[in-house]
Parts: sequence; structure tokens; C-alpha cells
Amino acid sequence: MRRSTWKKRKSIIMGMICLLLFVQEAPYVSADGKTDAYHYSFWGDAVPSPAAYEATTIITGKKLNITPMKEPSDMHVTANQHVFVLDSGNGRIIEMDRNFKLVRMIDSFEQEGKEDHFKNPQGLYVTEKGHLLVADSDNHRVVHLDEQGKLVKIVSEPKSDLLKADFQFKPMRVVMDKGERIYVMAEGVFDGFMEFSADGTFSSFIGANRVQVDPVEYLWKRFATREQRSQMVMFTPTEFTNLDMDEEGFIYATSGDRGKDPVKKLNAQGTDILRREGYQTPQGDLLYTQEAGPSRLIDVDVGDSDMYSVLDSSKGRIFTYNGDGYLLHIYGGIGNRLGQFNTPVALERAGDRMLVLDKALGEITVFQTTEYGRTLHEAVRSYYNGDEDQSSVLFAQAAEMNANLEYAYAGIGKALLRQKEYAESAKYFKRSMEPKGYSKAFLLYRKELMREHFSWMMSGIFLAVAAIVTVIIVRRQKRRTTNAGIK
Amino acid sequence: MQASSKQLYQYPLHLIFHPFDGYWELKYERNQRNSLLIAFMILVLLVITKILHAQYSGFLINLSNPKYLNSLLEMLYVIIPVLFWCVANWSLTTLMDGEGKFSEIFMSTCFALVPLLLIHFPWIWLSLVISAQETAFYYFSNALAVVWTVYLLFVGNMTVHQYTPAKTVLTMLLTLVAMAFMAFLCLLFFSLVQQIVSFVVTIYQELVLRG
Repeated sequence: MRRSTWKKRKSIIMGMICLLLFVQEAPYVSADGKTDAYHYSFWGDAVPSPAAYEATTIITGKKLNITPMKEPSDMHVTANQHVFVLDSGNGRIIEMDRNFKLVRMIDSFEQEGKEDHFKNPQGLYVTEKGHLLVADSDNHRVVHLDEQGKLVKIVSEPKSDLLKADFQFKPMRVVMDKGERIYVMAEGVFDGFMEFSADGTFSSFIGANRVQVDPVEYLWKRFATREQRSQMVMFTPTEFTNLDMDEEGFIYATSGDRGKDPVKKLNAQGTDILRREGYQTPQGDLLYTQEAGPSRLIDVDVGDSDMYSVLDSSKGRIFTYNGDGYLLHIYGGIGNRLGQFNTPVALERAGDRMLVLDKALGEITVFQTTEYGRTLHEAVRSYYNGDEDQSSVLFAQAAEMNANLEYAYAGIGKALLRQKEYAESAKYFKRSMEPKGYSKAFLLYRKELMREHFSWMMSGIFLAVAAIVTVIIVRRQKRRTTNAGIK
Repeated sequence: MQASSKQLYQYPLHLIFHPFDGYWELKYERNQRNSLLIAFMILVLLVITKILHAQYSGFLINLSNPKYLNSLLEMLYVIIPVLFWCVANWSLTTLMDGEGKFSEIFMSTCFALVPLLLIHFPWIWLSLVISAQETAFYYFSNALAVVWTVYLLFVGNMTVHQYTPAKTVLTMLLTLVAMAFMAFLCLLFFSLVQQIVSFVVTIYQELVLRG
């Protein structure tokens, strides 16, 4: 008797243990010691990838034969690949040529006959004409110098009804478009970027981030009394962390917290027009630990063919996306090796090279594209320019070097589609997880197949129907005769 | 009455098209053992359909990562809701003067799932030859299957428990609430058991390391 109850209990316990084992195990994250390069697959898993960039050199003050850079905060590269670095701690601008040889240093300018200096400037922008714009933060002004370093104008404390009476203008980053309008990202401004007209008067705000409301917090607020509510944090939109302007005059902006979309592309009206057609929206790292939190994007650099890169300050990684929002590659990191940073603050592209400015170490890391990176960039470029044959060849090469690059297979699929290789094309689109392209290729393939086999399929169906009808008639006839026989 | 092989499929097909007759027969006229057998078979076929669907259905409608496909879990996704529904329904209807026995509730529920089976199974193969525009048909027929199943559940409940239509709807809604409760209790139970297990493991490790 006792034994049987024990047996029963044992089976129950075994059942429970079995149920416990069904709890899904945590997804693994691949991290081999050899390479930092990885990529995110369609499913959002981290997968290994070859490196697209490798660090070649480091530029420091010592290499330029000048005093070390002190807390540099911004950098700009012109079309002829001259590098301008804003050395905030020393209040100077360093200009280098494309081989990183010192050209000149600007640490002062002349204003009404007197020499004037920068005080902790944070932002720098160089226009196509070579004009310099400096966000002179602690002097609460934006300084506009011409290519010689002579003062053009100073934009200081804006006056407007849109601004509060006690508003303190502290510009952090600045860009200028072709119409000489100046866009300023200022500290403590939640209404977007400040737009100044060509003569330096404040006109409006553009591109404010929407307020993100946490539903739980909202619920609590509804129940709180007026006094309690005044103690709570206000719902404020997130501040932008940086901005850059592309060739067509669109502003690319990053915001620090992971709101809905940390990367934005703003048109003249301030609406976000960034394409997010990729497997995941551009946002930096997809997988992160609870303690580390999501990526904090602090700089964006727009290259040619709509490709853009963003810099994540929490992990020191650089993410490059193409114009459609597909992730192309990831590199960089926080650490002590060449190609890793301590406190990266700014990111600039100089032709094939990528420069990353480190604030704490006062140095610039220079990255050079690898074979893989060059192929991939060239493929994206040819596709952007409409040369699909060239791009499919290059995408095939890139896919050969990195089988995890699902995005490249779509490029091959598109080329095959135009070559009327529908079945093959569908296969590549499927591998690329591209339902639209797959459907198109598959539809054409199906049509082709139907056309080829229509005659015998149709006659087959006709014969089958005829056979069934005959069988039914024969059976009915038989039944009738047997029934008649019984009667 | 012996179950001939013909009856095994004829009766459920008859039931889904004539639910009032079918469920009446199920409760009062048919051999319970045969019906129970058919019910289990429906459940097994549904499990098979679910697994095949996750693995083999067309790329355009298949949104699951093949890397994480787990047949055991797929099985549970079918069996646990059915079991929860039956238990919750039985617990409620015993309090609400329902006339159904547990076996009858289980059978009526399983028979109501036949449309899901009939519509999903061919779509595993059909979905391989459709294009993106034609996925609309897939989603439409899916919705149709669900509506049909809900209707059958409704009729089944009404017949098995001898309820009025309004009371049936109320019971079904309450059953859903009860299912949520059961799910909550189960999760609580398992997480507590897990904590106890990890506690015991920790003590064991401590003893081993000290000793």
C-alpha cells in the first residue's frame, strides 16, 4: 500500500522535474577572443563577421610636434580630406592635411581690433568654402570665421518670444547648410535644433524629439495629487546628442537615450525622413546587458551614397548603415588596444579612412578599410548609383567573405531577377529574408512554370474529372440495377 | 457499436457542418469511448499540424526562427490551452449548474478544433506556392477557421451543459478569466519550485565546499 503511494508520488515528482526542464535556455552570445567584429542577423542574433575596418595609426599632439591635445571634443573633415580638430581644453583649432601633417593652428581671432579667444568650445563645423563655425560654449556664442581665420560674424544670445526670459545660450554643436543658415544644438534645449538665418538672427526650432511616455508612470501620475505631481519628474523629450549634414542639406541627428528612434534624418521642415527598411531599425547594439543598458549614440557621420555611421559611447562601437537602414558593419570598442578607445566623442570619414576622436586620451585613431569593407562599400555605392550589375558582382564577393551578411544576398537576387533567372533569384531573396523580392521572383517563376506545363496539367485535370464522373455514373447505374434486382 | 474506419472521419465532419445535431448525438447517442478516441486523434493531428506548420510552411507566412524550433514546445502550445480550457470550463460549469461531465467537455472542445485542423493542414503546402499578394487568402482563411471554431465551441458548450445562449457566452468569457488565473497560479507554483530547488542546490554546494 505504502509502496504504491510512493510510486505515484515519484511519478508526479518526475513529471514536475520534466516540466521544469522545459524552461527555455538563455540565447548564447558568440564572442571568440580573436576578433571584435560581429554583425546582427535577421533574427537579431549576434553573428561573427570579418572586420570592415582596421586601425592603422594614432595621431597625437606629439606626432604633430605641438603640445598635447587637451579634451578635444569635435572634429571635421573637409572634401579635400583636411582634418580640423577642435582642441577644447587648449581653446584652439588644429588643421591637418590628408597625410596628417600640421597645416596651421587657430587659437584666436580679431574682433574690432582686439584679439579674442575661445573658451571651452564644444562644436566645430567647416563649410564647403572652408569657413569655420565654432560653438564657443562658455562664451555663449557661435563664432563664424572665413577660410583665412578672419571673423565674419558672431551669433550670440538669441532674442525671441519662443525663448524663456532666463534662457542661457550654450551652444554645443553647430552645422551650416548651403543657404548659410546655421543650426545649433544647445545645452538644455528640448525643443530641437535652433535655426539661425544667414545674418545670425534666431528664426525657429526644428525637429524636436517627441515626448516618450511610460504608461506605468502615466498611470501613477493620474492617481497622484497635485503636490505629489509637482515632485515628480516632468515628461520631457530627449535631447539630441549630435548632428551632421549630408551633401543635400539633410540633417542627421542622434539622441542619447534609446527613445523610439535614436537616429533621425530631418528635412527642412524638421520631419524625420530616415528610411528604416532594414531588418532592425538603426539603434546601435540590439543585445545588451541590463547593467550596461542600450547604446548611447553620441555622434553621426554621413558619408557618400547615403551611408552613415553612428558612434556608441557606452561600448565605443561604430555602426554603419546604408541609406535604407540595413546594418553594414560594426567595429571599435572600449579598451587599451589599437582600434579601441577610452572616451570616444567624435567620428569623421575621410575617404576610405575613418577617424575617431578620443576625448580623455587626446588622440585620433585612424581606421583603414579592409578588403571586405571596401568591397561592401563599393557594392552599396554602385547600387546607389543604379549600376546593378556591378553591385551584384560586388555583393556576391562580399557574401563570399561574410556568409552572415544576409543583406548582400538580396543584391544578388535583384541581379538574377533581371537576368530572368527567377528560381535562383527567389532562392537568394529567401536567403536574404526579403519577402517582397522573393514574392516578385517567385510569381514570375510560377508563371513561367505554368506556361511550360499548362497543356499536360490541364489535360490531366480534365481526364481526372472525366474519370471521376464516369465512376460515379457507373456506380449509380450498378446500384440501380441491384436495387431493381432486389425489388 | 464498433468504430469502423469510415465513421472515424465521417462523424467529426458531420459535426462541424451540423453542430446542433452533432453535439446532441455526442452527448446522448454516441458511444463515448469511440468519441473519446476520435477526440484524442484530433488533438494529435493538431499537434502534428502545428509542428509541420512551424517547420515547413512557406517563407512568406512563416515568421518563426527555425533555429529555435522545438517540437516539444509546439506540442505544449496546443495541449496546454486545450487542457486549461477544459479544466477551467469544468470547474466553472459544476458551480453554474452545467450538465456536462469532464469527458464531454473535453470531447466537445476537441471536436470544435476540427476546422483549425482542416484549414491549417492544406495551407502548409499551399503556402509554398503563393506570392505576397495571395497571403491575404491565408490570413482570411485563418480568421475563418478561428471564427468557425469559436462558433462550434459555443454550440458545444450550450448543448453539453444545456444552457441558454446568453449563459453560454457568459460561461465562455468567465472560462477565459479562469484560464488566466490558472496560468498565473501555474507560473507562481513553478517559479516557487524553482526557487526551492535552487535553494537546496545552494545549500548542497555550500556543504560540499566546506566539508
